[in-house]
Amino acid sequence: MTLIGISEVMRSLPELWVGLRFTLLLVFASLAIGSIIGLFVCLGRLLGRGLLVGLCATYTTIFRGIPEVVLMFWIYYCGPLLGGFRPSSLSAALVAMSLYVGALLSEIFRGGILAVPRGQAEAARSLGVPEFWVWTSVILPQAFRIVIPALIGVAALTVKVSGIASTIGVTELVFEANVTAGQSYRYFEMFTAVGVFYFLILFPMSMIAKGYERKLVKRRK
Amino acid sequence: MTDDQMLAPIVTCTNVCKRYGAFVALRDVNLEVSKGEVVCIVGPSGGGKSTFLRTINGLESIDSGTICFDGITIPGPARNVGLIRREAGMVFQSFNLFPHMTVRKNLILAPVRARGLSHAEANERAERLLKRVGIANQIDKYPDQLSGGQQQRVAIARALAMEPKVMLFDEPTSALDPEMVKEVLEVVRELAGSGMTMIIVTHEMGFAREISSRVVFMVEGSIAVDAPPERFFNAPSEPRLESFLSKVL
Amino acid sequence: METTPTIEDHDSSIVDIVPKSARGVLRQVRQSLDPVSVIVLVAIAIGIYNVIDWSQIRTLDFGIIIKFWRPLATAAGMTIGITAAALACGLVIGILLAILLELRIGFLRYVLNAYIEIWRNTPLIVQLFWVHFGLPMVTGISTTALQSGLLALTLQSSAYLADIARAGIQAVPKGQWDAAMALSLPARTKWIEVILPQALKIMIPPLGNLAVSFLNGSALLGVLSVGELMTISTRISDYTSKPIEIMTVVALLYLAINVATTYLTSRLERFAGAPR
Repeated sequence: MTLIGISEVMRSLPELWVGLRFTLLLVFASLAIGSIIGLFVCLGRLLGRGLLVGLCATYTTIFRGIPEVVLMFWIYYCGPLLGGFRPSSLSAALVAMSLYVGALLSEIFRGGILAVPRGQAEAARSLGVPEFWVWTSVILPQAFRIVIPALIGVAALTVKVSGIASTIGVTELVFEANVTAGQSYRYFEMFTAVGVFYFLILFPMSMIAKGYERKLVKRRK
Repeated sequence: MTDDQMLAPIVTCTNVCKRYGAFVALRDVNLEVSKGEVVCIVGPSGGGKSTFLRTINGLESIDSGTICFDGITIPGPARNVGLIRREAGMVFQSFNLFPHMTVRKNLILAPVRARGLSHAEANERAERLLKRVGIANQIDKYPDQLSGGQQQRVAIARALAMEPKVMLFDEPTSALDPEMVKEVLEVVRELAGSGMTMIIVTHEMGFAREISSRVVFMVEGSIAVDAPPERFFNAPSEPRLESFLSKVL
Repeated sequence: METTPTIEDHDSSIVDIVPKSARGVLRQVRQSLDPVSVIVLVAIAIGIYNVIDWSQIRTLDFGIIIKFWRPLATAAGMTIGITAAALACGLVIGILLAILLELRIGFLRYVLNAYIEIWRNTPLIVQLFWVHFGLPMVTGISTTALQSGLLALTLQSSAYLADIARAGIQAVPKGQWDAAMALSLPARTKWIEVILPQALKIMIPPLGNLAVSFLNGSALLGVLSVGELMTISTRISDYTSKPIEIMTVVALLYLAINVATTYLTSRLERFAGAPR
């Protein structure tokens, strides 16, 4: 019976391919925008004083403390409030995911920067190196190397979260899987296939991240 | 021996105080260092030696008092610290070489970014200095490929690359395995011989005795004794210094 | 005025541009406001003010929340209950898996690791649909939405928790194992009385993070109309046609639950670490 099921899955590949394109769009766009947001929020939190720090910390707390699905719904429905435009499912999902990824990344960047040994910045400053170059030549390169495993983790998380966009009607992979499974009643085969597909993307990412982490630990010793 | 007194002081610290909450790290520290002098600061752990050294180039802030470095004063306009840092070279206990850069890049970063040298000039300076400290052939290696003693010598060359007026050493050999201490002290000795003004926090008593113009004893946040090495080691004027010397010598 | 360094101060010398004393007298005024902060905040305020459609805000009726507070509160309780149940079961399974992995039996390790990796590297929403729609087709047993939801959450949490438990067990100092062996403690005692209590203490922080993760994940159960907070909120929004108010409140509710969880976790950490 499952054999027949697989051919049904094959037949649905065109729709699934459409869905996949949307998934990729969601993932890459939200990672890109989220990186920018995350960088600003992180710097605001580290370099600002008082109010700005509080604001950035609040941003992080809020967007990590609300379920992604609730955030997507909220933006979808509350869009008209801001500027009177009605967001499409796709733009609502994009905004929600970007904000969420931004919150995650701001924490990761911050952790990375604070993990760079204090002596590095001290050495650079006592050499008289201007502050801009202390950051761009010494601190940030090292911080980046430290957070690479975590960055891969965030990318993986973004792929997983993209599936949630199906709940507000974005025609990405999970949505298409649902639709085509409903047509053929091959729920088991379809979702297993989609599950396997996600696994094939996410598992290597997790392995690479772990490998990198091991290399980092070795280097420290 | 006291020609130094005819030369103007290049570093003058007056009544420097620093607290961490309720703990007083530095209380009314007064020190004057003239050009060409080698001043070693010794004393028990926690006495404030490193803290004091780090106030001179602004790595630690001071709560009161003044520091005057070659005419530049702290407290003062915000850019003063940056100006002092260009003229004061610091060598750290834990080397603090930039691990993601080669030795060459470590040396040319500051001259290029802080003094605006061209890459060619900075490179030439780097090669010259590495030859001076004895590791010219390691120039394109990464710090983690070098031994501790080699890394510290690179750190010294890196500080020298800025052509500072004063070199500050914060326990330069404390983190080294014993067999590598000698090679680093050799470099410091050569530097002293060439007339560089130096302030060295160290535990190496024999070395301090050999190369200093003056030795300073710091305990509990203030300077208890400030004397030339003969008087310092042979005729200690302070009971705390006596007991300290009896433990370490 | 004293420069009493807070923990922030001391650890962030990496970001210290110029030592504070060098700034002189203005230090006091600048304590909480500096030009950049003020500019950014004013810019954000102006932006928000101009962008919001104020006329619409006036039509919002937050009073309906009072009308519906009971179903909302019950649903919130259900969210917490579902998450707690899934995490509790997941913890038990996870610890069992970690212990089994510790025994280092060749092929079993393979199977267990495969299980863990599969459930960790697939999206929860796919797992949800797979358990609820797919599994019944193969097993012939159809599960209610709640059962499917709980099952999916439990299975996923067990995978994450197995990983956390493994890390926690390995973090227990080697000397403890040696001592247990030297005292010839039976395996059961060794695990229950010596290793696990210490491992659990180490596991508290990642557990707290996981709790927040799964509280957020439980909201996905709304697509199956399980009856927890997300389900109820969509139902009420549709019924009253006031999605903005409901969604805002629900978002705040989740936020409150998560903040409370984070707070409780840190209290728990302190409590567990305190007796020395």
